[in-house]
Amino acid sequence: MEELFEQLAYCIEYGKINKPSPFPPDMKDKDGADEITQQLLNEGISADDILQKALIVGMEKVGVKFRENKVFVPQVLMSAKAMDAAMAHLKPHFANSPGSQKGTFIIGTVEGDLHDIGKNLVAMMVEGNGYEVIDLGTDVKAEKFIEAAEQYPGAVIGLSALLTTTMNNMEEITKAIKSHNRNIAICIGGAPVNQDFCDKIGADSYNPDPQGVVEFLNKTVE
Amino acid sequence: MKGIELIKKAMRLEEVERIPWVPFVGSHAGALLGMTATEYLQSKDNIVKGVNEAIKLYNPDGIPVAFDLQIEAEALGCQLVWADNNPPAVVSHPLKDGVSLNDLKVPCPCKARIPLVMEATRELREQHPDIALYGLITGPFTLALHLLGTDIFMQMMMEPEKTHQLMRFTTNVALMMAGNYIENGADVIAIVDPMTSQIDPMSFETFVSPYIKEVNEFIREADALSSFFVCGNAKQNIEVMCQTNPDNISIDENIPLDYVRDTALKHKVSFGGNIKLTVVLLMGDEEASRRDALECMDIGGKKGFILAPGCDLAMETPKENLVAVSELVHDEMLQGELRASEAKQMDLEKLDLSNHWDDSKVVIDIITLDSSSCAPCQYMVDAVDRAAADYGDKVVYKEHRIKEKEGVQMMMSLGVQNLPTIVMDGNIEFISQIPPINDIKGKIEHYLSNKN
Repeated sequence: MEELFEQLAYCIEYGKINKPSPFPPDMKDKDGADEITQQLLNEGISADDILQKALIVGMEKVGVKFRENKVFVPQVLMSAKAMDAAMAHLKPHFANSPGSQKGTFIIGTVEGDLHDIGKNLVAMMVEGNGYEVIDLGTDVKAEKFIEAAEQYPGAVIGLSALLTTTMNNMEEITKAIKSHNRNIAICIGGAPVNQDFCDKIGADSYNPDPQGVVEFLNKTVE
Repeated sequence: MKGIELIKKAMRLEEVERIPWVPFVGSHAGALLGMTATEYLQSKDNIVKGVNEAIKLYNPDGIPVAFDLQIEAEALGCQLVWADNNPPAVVSHPLKDGVSLNDLKVPCPCKARIPLVMEATRELREQHPDIALYGLITGPFTLALHLLGTDIFMQMMMEPEKTHQLMRFTTNVALMMAGNYIENGADVIAIVDPMTSQIDPMSFETFVSPYIKEVNEFIREADALSSFFVCGNAKQNIEVMCQTNPDNISIDENIPLDYVRDTALKHKVSFGGNIKLTVVLLMGDEEASRRDALECMDIGGKKGFILAPGCDLAMETPKENLVAVSELVHDEMLQGELRASEAKQMDLEKLDLSNHWDDSKVVIDIITLDSSSCAPCQYMVDAVDRAAADYGDKVVYKEHRIKEKEGVQMMMSLGVQNLPTIVMDGNIEFISQIPPINDIKGKIEHYLSNKN
């Protein structure tokens, strides 16, 4: 059993979706995340165990490698796709026990900004690490974040911006959320953003990479 | 020397007398004219007017005609959303929405806004024969992303041959744009491919390198210069970028400039960057802008380096900050003073000057940048030398170059603020301007009369 967990974690780490998938080339014709997850379920392993002992282990490794510049967006996307393939098997099991997810993360690119690559990557990594993700998309106004926070009490909010000009909107949105309820934790990220800016606008956390967001959530949501 | 010559020299890795400076003015020029990005980037007349305003204010050696990576995408049918204070954004990806690659044609240069930027290039060329004009084209990988969206990352892994077909197409578009820019008078073609910062070196070599090499060769054959721009943290790809044989690479503050310098020079490629775009130029003040620019210049050096912001200047960048950088670039004296004041912050100790003075002689200290490379410094030292000649051993003088630590310490110890300065028996007497010999002699007489 341990061996199957390891194999599944390996498939997630290296982005092996399923048997027919040609990537990575050195895993040609081998079982992928899709097949192994099904196999584990067939053997009576709980969905939660599969998530905790294989999927999250694999995603965490990708997250760390991404942070260390050992892998890049294409590889992380493949890992996320492998994760999706596994989660498709697990989701029906989770539907009956909503408590099994670690917490909720609301994410969006701030008003005026239409860029979504960074936001999507963070969303994928966070989801891959066992959180429910509410993706509000791009060009999101403060009210929409607040509305979502009302709907999911205890959720952490993530704000993304790529443009230097929308950093101001990030500040306004942070202030609006905090004045609505200062207990809502807010983390920010994006190319022009840094720790100084985070301190200046009163957000709770700045992270340069998705793994940092996961670690912030692990600390905050408990 | 003309700006264009400085840029050419830098790109040929020849030593330059002054580091060339290329402010990446895009929609920022719209702000200079008090208009929105939409009004600015949709009008040839406004672009010409805006670039002229930027040239007047920032005294650059080179400047982009337009910084807008959506021009080709728009001509290929991507939908744009326009904004007041940003270049437009691509919001639809035709290849994702059912259009087939076979149905896409390399656009005619008469399409969408292509003729507008080409006409602007032609007019600016006539108006500014001495400034290097940069024609910016969307890099093939970034254009592929505009067309297909982020699905390209997965396609690279799952169906690599399809990605190659797409890159072939976007490269043909890049060649068309480069050719037109060159025909209309651009000196440098900047291939702006920021999305390559998101991929690993192996993917870069597989999917990007062959195409960029081809564009670089095309540009070289047309007797123009090529510069590969990448914004974002592309440290992992600097090496493979250099191996595509561009004349220059340009990077932003995410990548340490010393690393880029070493890598680029190893491959005999010139390099540019990387004044901090947001925390310094946009949000900082003139002082911070000068200091950051100086740091870049000191790391970059006078061989192969072009000073530039990390990427397209934010529209609301205060013009004072860019004027401050421009003044610094053109004033070696200011650079020296700033360098000295930086050194002051490094906790250098003041010198003990108790044995420096003499009861029977006038001691003259001349604080300079370095009389061998700075003309005013040289004239000042010469003037003191000639004035002192008549007094034999009654006068001793020494030059203190602030390029050396001792010079900086002396400058601090004597309380000197400007360069060059003449100090006599510890008193600041002449600042910056070269005094007539007789004025120096008069001062020497004055100090001598105080001696025993």
